[in-house]
Amino acid sequence: MRAFLGRLGLAAGLLLAGPAAAQDEDPVEHGKYLVHAAGCVACHTVPKSEKYLAGGVALKTPFGTFYTPNITPDEKTGLGTWSEAQFLEALKHGRAPDGSAYYPAFPYTSYSGMTDDDAKALFAYLKSVPAIEQANREHELDFPFGWRWLAGVWQSLFFEPRPFKADPDQSEAWNRGAYLVQDLGHCGECHTPRGWLGATEQDKALSGNPEGPEGKSVPNITPGKGGIGDWSESDIAWYLKTGFLPDGDYVGGAMVEVVTEGTSKLTDDDRRAIAEYLVSVPPLPTP
Amino acid sequence: MRKAVGALTGALATIWLGQALAADSPKSLVEYRQAVMKSIGASTGAIGMIVKGEVSYTDQIPEHADAILEMSLLVPKIFPPNSTYDDYNKTDALPAIWKEPEKFKTAVEDFQKAAAHFAETAQGSDMDATTNAYLELGKTCGGCHKPFRHKE
Repeated sequence: MRAFLGRLGLAAGLLLAGPAAAQDEDPVEHGKYLVHAAGCVACHTVPKSEKYLAGGVALKTPFGTFYTPNITPDEKTGLGTWSEAQFLEALKHGRAPDGSAYYPAFPYTSYSGMTDDDAKALFAYLKSVPAIEQANREHELDFPFGWRWLAGVWQSLFFEPRPFKADPDQSEAWNRGAYLVQDLGHCGECHTPRGWLGATEQDKALSGNPEGPEGKSVPNITPGKGGIGDWSESDIAWYLKTGFLPDGDYVGGAMVEVVTEGTSKLTDDDRRAIAEYLVSVPPLPTP
Repeated sequence: MRKAVGALTGALATIWLGQALAADSPKSLVEYRQAVMKSIGASTGAIGMIVKGEVSYTDQIPEHADAILEMSLLVPKIFPPNSTYDDYNKTDALPAIWKEPEKFKTAVEDFQKAAAHFAETAQGSDMDATTNAYLELGKTCGGCHKPFRHKE
C-alpha cells in the first residue's frame, strides 16, 4: 500500500497541480471551485456557448425534457433578487422562493447533504459571475408530469433532507470522497437506477441506470459484476482528471461534460478521495 | 437549389469521409475502423499506465505519441458512406457523421492538430508541457466522440 501511494505521489508530481481547495479561503474563490465539484457548469451552461451558467441545457428523461434555469445574478431572469436563505432552501430542500417544489431533475436530493458553508460559498460565487439576461425555457414534460404540484407530492413521498454524516471509522480522505460522490458530485443521480416514479433506489446505489439521461444507459461504478472492480484507485483518479479509461478508450455521453467541466478541475487530492471511496462501496451487479 | 446543395454536401462528404468502397462489405469496413480506433486506444492506454506509474517506461511516451499521430491521419479516410449503422448495426458511429460532414471534419482536424502537438511536445523533456498536451489531446477525443459516437 505504501509503495502504491508513493507511486501515486510520483504520478501526481508528473501531472499538473490542480487548484487548491483550502477551507479558509475567501467564499467566492471557494464557491468557484465548488461549481465544478457540484457539476453546476455541466448542466447550467450550454456546451461551447459563451453564456456561462445562463441555463437552457436540455435534460431528456423518461418523464420529458427539462430545461435548466439561468443561475447568473441577472435580476429579471436569474438569481439576482434571491437572498442567501432562499438559495439554501432551493439547493438543499428543493423549494423555489415562491414556495413551489422543484422537480427532482434538480439534484437537491443529493445537495441536501451539502454543508451550509459550501452552499453559502456557492451562492457567493454565483452572485459574483456576470449577469446574463436569458429567460428560462418551459420544461416539455409528458402528461401528467407537467403539473408542478405533483413535484410537491413527490417530495412528500420520496424526499427527506439528509445531512452528510462522516463515518469516524474511515479515513478523512474516504469521508471527503463520500461527500464528493454522494452530495456535491451527486453521482447517484445518473448512476443509480430509478423506480417508476423517478426516485433513486438507494439499495442499488451507483450500480448503473439502464434509463439514464438522453435515453442512454449509465454504467455501474461499484466494484460489483458489470462495474469497475478491476479499476485501481489511480485508474479512477486518472480517468476523472483526463477522461481516459484504463483501456485507453475515452469517456463518452453526458460524462464528457462531467469530466471536462467538473472532475478535471478538481484537486488531485479530491480525485484520490473520490477513488478511495468508490473502491469501497458495496459491490452490486448491474441492474 | 436545395437539391444542388445536398448533392454538393454529399460530394464533399465523399471526398472527406473516404470513397464508397463497394467491394468491401460494411461489416469489414466497420471492423477495420474499430481496429484502427482500438490501436489509438491501445496507445492512450499504454501512456496512461506510464503516467500513473504502473510501469516505469517513461522514455517510451514519444513512440506512443507518434503512433497516435500516424493513426490520426487515417481517421478521416475510414468513414465511407456504406459503413453506417444502417449498413451494419454493430457500429457506434452516429448518423451525424454523414449528415454533418463539415462539423465532423472540423472535429477530426482538431484531433489531428492536438495529436501533432502532443507528438512534438513529447519529444522534449518538459513533463508538464507533455502532460498538458496530452490533456488537450483527450479533449479532442471527446470533441468527436460526444457528437458522433454512441456510448453509454
